[in-house]
Amino acid sequence: MTIENWREQLRRGGLDLAILSAVAEAPRYGLDIIRHLEDSTDLVITEGTIYPILARLAKDGVLRAEWVADEGPHPRKYYRLTDRGRRVLDEMLVHWDAFTEKIGRLVRAARGGRK
Amino acid sequence: MKLSETGEARVRGYLFVLGRSLRSFLPGDVAKDALREIESHILERVSLAGEQPDERATLERILTELGSPLRVAQAYSAEMAVDEALATGRTGAVARALWHLATTTVGGFAATLGLFVGYVAGLSMLAVAVLKPIFPGNVGFFFVNGLPHSMGALFPVPAGAEVRGGYWVIPIALALGLSILAATHRGSCRFLAWWRDRRTGQGGALVSHHSRGSTGSLSNASTPKTHS
Repeated sequence: MTIENWREQLRRGGLDLAILSAVAEAPRYGLDIIRHLEDSTDLVITEGTIYPILARLAKDGVLRAEWVADEGPHPRKYYRLTDRGRRVLDEMLVHWDAFTEKIGRLVRAARGGRK
Repeated sequence: MKLSETGEARVRGYLFVLGRSLRSFLPGDVAKDALREIESHILERVSLAGEQPDERATLERILTELGSPLRVAQAYSAEMAVDEALATGRTGAVARALWHLATTTVGGFAATLGLFVGYVAGLSMLAVAVLKPIFPGNVGFFFVNGLPHSMGALFPVPAGAEVRGGYWVIPIALALGLSILAATHRGSCRFLAWWRDRRTGQGGALVSHHSRGSTGSLSNASTPKTHS
């Protein structure tokens, strides 16, 4: 296991949660989501690969996509959470909080033991 | 930045290649919508780039940061076709995902070829079970000069070959066929899972700030207006 691979796995694990959280605040389109994640987290998504992820989430009924023609010089596809998506996000957040708390406890104990 | 005719032709070429690849494994309307979204992304990046002295270099940078058409198509494949295959395990979905990998990657072609042989072998065994009651003299274990040679069906039975095996061949062929099919299908799913993890784990969906460097920055872009 290399640290870089581990970091990739870690980021990947949080990616769906990060995307759902990004569109929970307000409907966003692909480039807007990329910018939002880049500005507020360490998650820099390869541009061409966020759209397949969004398509999957929409296919799963977690996001609803809508083309908006009058927002800019060309149509943009906005994504927003569906009711199901909101429930999924709430559930993910519960698991995320429990997970980070447990791992945090373990890491703090490990750090304490090394001192 | 407003694209010149040359620039527009470059974008059309990119979208053409991407569209052909997407249509090979996505339903037509889904592929069309995906293509429209990628086009929207490119136009957004172009409009945010502002006036640039070198349109060609700017456009190439935008397309490079988006990823090659094949890479984008593979990302769709990993998220849509492969994900569906792994989530459902349905034969049709697995076949579609394998077909896409076989037509876009060398490793996928080799693996799919091997898996195809497995599926054919399994189906052949089932065919033996079905044909035995209809052509009992042509289906079974074949012996040549008293030595075992093969198992299956031969029409007609060659001179010097002898067919052995009664109807007990049927359960053996059924068990063998189903076992081979199950093992091959499991192998297909494991290959697809490995491919998806490899695809998304190694610079797939995510890149680090460090590896992206200055070319990946969208800092020149103005803040997009958020729909409300």
